[in-house]
Amino acid sequence: MTAEQVLRPLPDGLGTRLRAWAFEHVDLAFGLLRAVKPILKVGGTVLVTRYDDVREVFLTDDAFPVPYRAKLDVIMGGCPFFLGMADTPEYRRDTAAMRKAILREDIPVRLAGAVETLAERIVDEGGGRLEVVDELVRRVTFAVLSDYFGVPDPPGADLRVWATRLFEFQFADPGDDPALRADVDRMAPALRDHIDRLIAARRGSNTTGSDFEGDDVLGRCLALQRQGEPGFSDEQIRTALMGMIVGGPPQPPMVVPQALEQLLRRPDALMGAQAAARSGDDALLAGYVFEAMRFDPLAPALPRVAARDHRIAVGTPRETLVPKGATVLAAFRSAMHDGRRIPDPGRFDPRRMQHEYIHFGHGLHTCFGIHMNRVLLPLMLKPLLRRNRLRRAPGPEGHLTKRGPFAERLRVVYDA
Amino acid sequence: MSISVFEDDHFDPLLVIEANFDGPQGPFWAQLEAAIGPQLREILRYCERPAGRTGETFDLITRPGSKHPLAPFLEAHTVTPMIFHQGNRGLDRRRIDREAELFFAAQETLGNGARYHGVDAVTLHRTLRSSLRGTFDWLGEPEPVRIPGRERLADLAKLAGFAMVALLVLSFPGVLLALIVPNGWVVVSVSLLAALATGRLIKDLPDLFRQFSGSAPAPESGPPPRMRDAFARDAMKSAGSTVGFVRLALAAALFLAVYVALAATVFGALVAPLTPAPFGETIAASARVFALGLSSVPFSLCAILLWLRRLEDRDPCHDDPAVRPERLQDMMRREDFIAQNHMGSMVLVKPGLLRAVLIRAGLSGLALILRVVATSGYLGSMRTIHFAHWAMVGNGSRLMFFSNFDGSWESYLDDFIEKAHGGLTLAWGNCVGFPPARFLSLEGATHGRKFKNWARHSMATTLFWFSAYRDYTVNQIERHARVASGLRQPTLSPEEAIAWTRDL
Repeated sequence: MTAEQVLRPLPDGLGTRLRAWAFEHVDLAFGLLRAVKPILKVGGTVLVTRYDDVREVFLTDDAFPVPYRAKLDVIMGGCPFFLGMADTPEYRRDTAAMRKAILREDIPVRLAGAVETLAERIVDEGGGRLEVVDELVRRVTFAVLSDYFGVPDPPGADLRVWATRLFEFQFADPGDDPALRADVDRMAPALRDHIDRLIAARRGSNTTGSDFEGDDVLGRCLALQRQGEPGFSDEQIRTALMGMIVGGPPQPPMVVPQALEQLLRRPDALMGAQAAARSGDDALLAGYVFEAMRFDPLAPALPRVAARDHRIAVGTPRETLVPKGATVLAAFRSAMHDGRRIPDPGRFDPRRMQHEYIHFGHGLHTCFGIHMNRVLLPLMLKPLLRRNRLRRAPGPEGHLTKRGPFAERLRVVYDA
Repeated sequence: MSISVFEDDHFDPLLVIEANFDGPQGPFWAQLEAAIGPQLREILRYCERPAGRTGETFDLITRPGSKHPLAPFLEAHTVTPMIFHQGNRGLDRRRIDREAELFFAAQETLGNGARYHGVDAVTLHRTLRSSLRGTFDWLGEPEPVRIPGRERLADLAKLAGFAMVALLVLSFPGVLLALIVPNGWVVVSVSLLAALATGRLIKDLPDLFRQFSGSAPAPESGPPPRMRDAFARDAMKSAGSTVGFVRLALAAALFLAVYVALAATVFGALVAPLTPAPFGETIAASARVFALGLSSVPFSLCAILLWLRRLEDRDPCHDDPAVRPERLQDMMRREDFIAQNHMGSMVLVKPGLLRAVLIRAGLSGLALILRVVATSGYLGSMRTIHFAHWAMVGNGSRLMFFSNFDGSWESYLDDFIEKAHGGLTLAWGNCVGFPPARFLSLEGATHGRKFKNWARHSMATTLFWFSAYRDYTVNQIERHARVASGLRQPTLSPEEAIAWTRDL
């Protein structure tokens, strides 16, 4: 499986190239906006660029709820998933329910080791030459997480394609592309059906009435259902697993290669990250990876929609009224470079404090997998970083390319 | 960092969050919110809604269940000190911590010293360095400069700028006279005569001269100042010898020339478009006016001093301020737990135009002088101050002082009284109840008992206090820095090595 098969082809026109160029140089524009027009209102869209205001938008979730509901309904077949909810009792019930099945203790006990072992094997098999996006990160992420969730590839299909396509529809399709919608109309019901079958099969295998087979998230959910815990109907289990698969695994193949690209651009930082990987200092290695991600995070901004008229940055000269219905773009990439709150933002510093990063959103809808990501993302690169003479492969494939918002290809070479 | 509440019969209680930190303030507020945001929000809920633009923000951050960011509100209520002394200047927290770590590692390696008995200093340095290099790899890096040249230059430029503005203001009567009277001699004569006439009215003028030449008279009460005033001494040191005096005179002449040239250029450029005269002539005429204007500086100074003396003669002072025993107990209960202590005080500023100008000019000037003079990590001969700063609050109606210092409060104040009474009187002499002072620099703080009573009376209990390196004194930090500095050097000369071992 390569990026060619996982990612949709993009039209090869001037518009695509211009967009790619703009994304590559977005920090310049953000810097200018933060200084001159920190809250930019164009039509029905409000772009917020300073750290304080980005935090305010994320934290004011009653005025700025997430706009994900409509597309989530398409994916989930109308069943509500907590990503689309406001801070309601249902939201709290559903997130609390998933925290009973997806446990923090799993990270060190079950996931970290699996990620590092598989990544090590892949780097070893690479024999000194490796494509990072697909061959390493996407493979590790989907292999480890689909096993953990208890959701293997559907018969005759590939979870990587389905999840990535649904992710694109949900988060990276502002123009509502009809071709993508056609894919989604095919894949979403098929994924729902796949999980329904898995639930039925798992339940059918439980002939003894004792524990369900396999200690994975699906198995735990069914066990909790049997104990009468709220939030674990078949439909709720299916929706939660769908949400995890669509929202989770498509992201590491974007941000992890992007982080490596940033490290490759900074020889000192790469050397530091390699030293941390070799000495087994995972906390410092994580510092390097997340700092590298700050220079090319998941996206420039996350959207919210104004549920009512609301003024941002009250009491400051930049105070702006956001009218009901307006889309607010909280530019977290810009916020992480705002020198008003981030010390020396242009400097690569692997020892920054947690609050200087907004990689995983902020407030109510902070990434559900934040703790998992903090540990696992650096580990995906750790075996590669341990290798001697890690460098770009010669030619253009040695530089990270992107297809729209997705990382597409980055090949590196190293001493086998 | 500290949190205190200042209570006063004339004002509502004032909550003060005081902080000394490395780097710019924006990131500090973000860090503070990340560290103790929820607790701060609870504290703010007990506060009065501020008037003005931040009132609405206050409502947002204190309403039930609020998650509204705190940093912008706290930043909007920031008061920057007018005068600030930082002990161990040029050492940031990270450096202080790691140099201390190095120091203790060196001490551990030395043990009781028996192993190194009879070893010469150069060998000892080499041995210690090679055994510590493995753990402290930063010893191989070049030593960061404590006060970079750019910062030093900026400090000097700011002080020079301040002095020029002061000169401009003081020479204003002369400049006016020179514009009206064409004859230069008339201007100079009138100015000097006026100065002489005004100066004769001030009977204490000789005392003032003595103060600034470093031999202040003994005060009527309180301990006599055994050492010269810390601030004055440094400035006067270079004037001690004839060569020094000539150098100082030359520097002063050069400074005056630069002042006249700058003032003439700026003024000339401003008025040139309004006159038909050629540009060069306008500049030359302006230079003449500003040079003649300087002759009125003595008159202006004397006039200001006369005015000040009139005020000082009539100023009521608070000879025996009452300190409530329970409040004193409350303060003292929290003192002397560790090597360092903390104090915060708030006093009223005396009213009137002259006081308003003098307190601002005095504090700003003193602040700039401190930046230039106190570069050794210490404040003159006072070696106990980690941080000390004065800030004006309440539209300039109150002066707030905070300090982190080594040792007890009594010894700290004694230090102040003995070694820095002139600077102290200059900083606090414009405040209500301060012991009687003359010319804002004589006596005042030398009335030891009165000054201590007054200071205690003005203090609030420090309710919360965090010190980043609570176990180190200013001296100890400097000692760590010297040891680290030596260990950074690959080799030391025998003399350097012997001096270096004294700190081990």
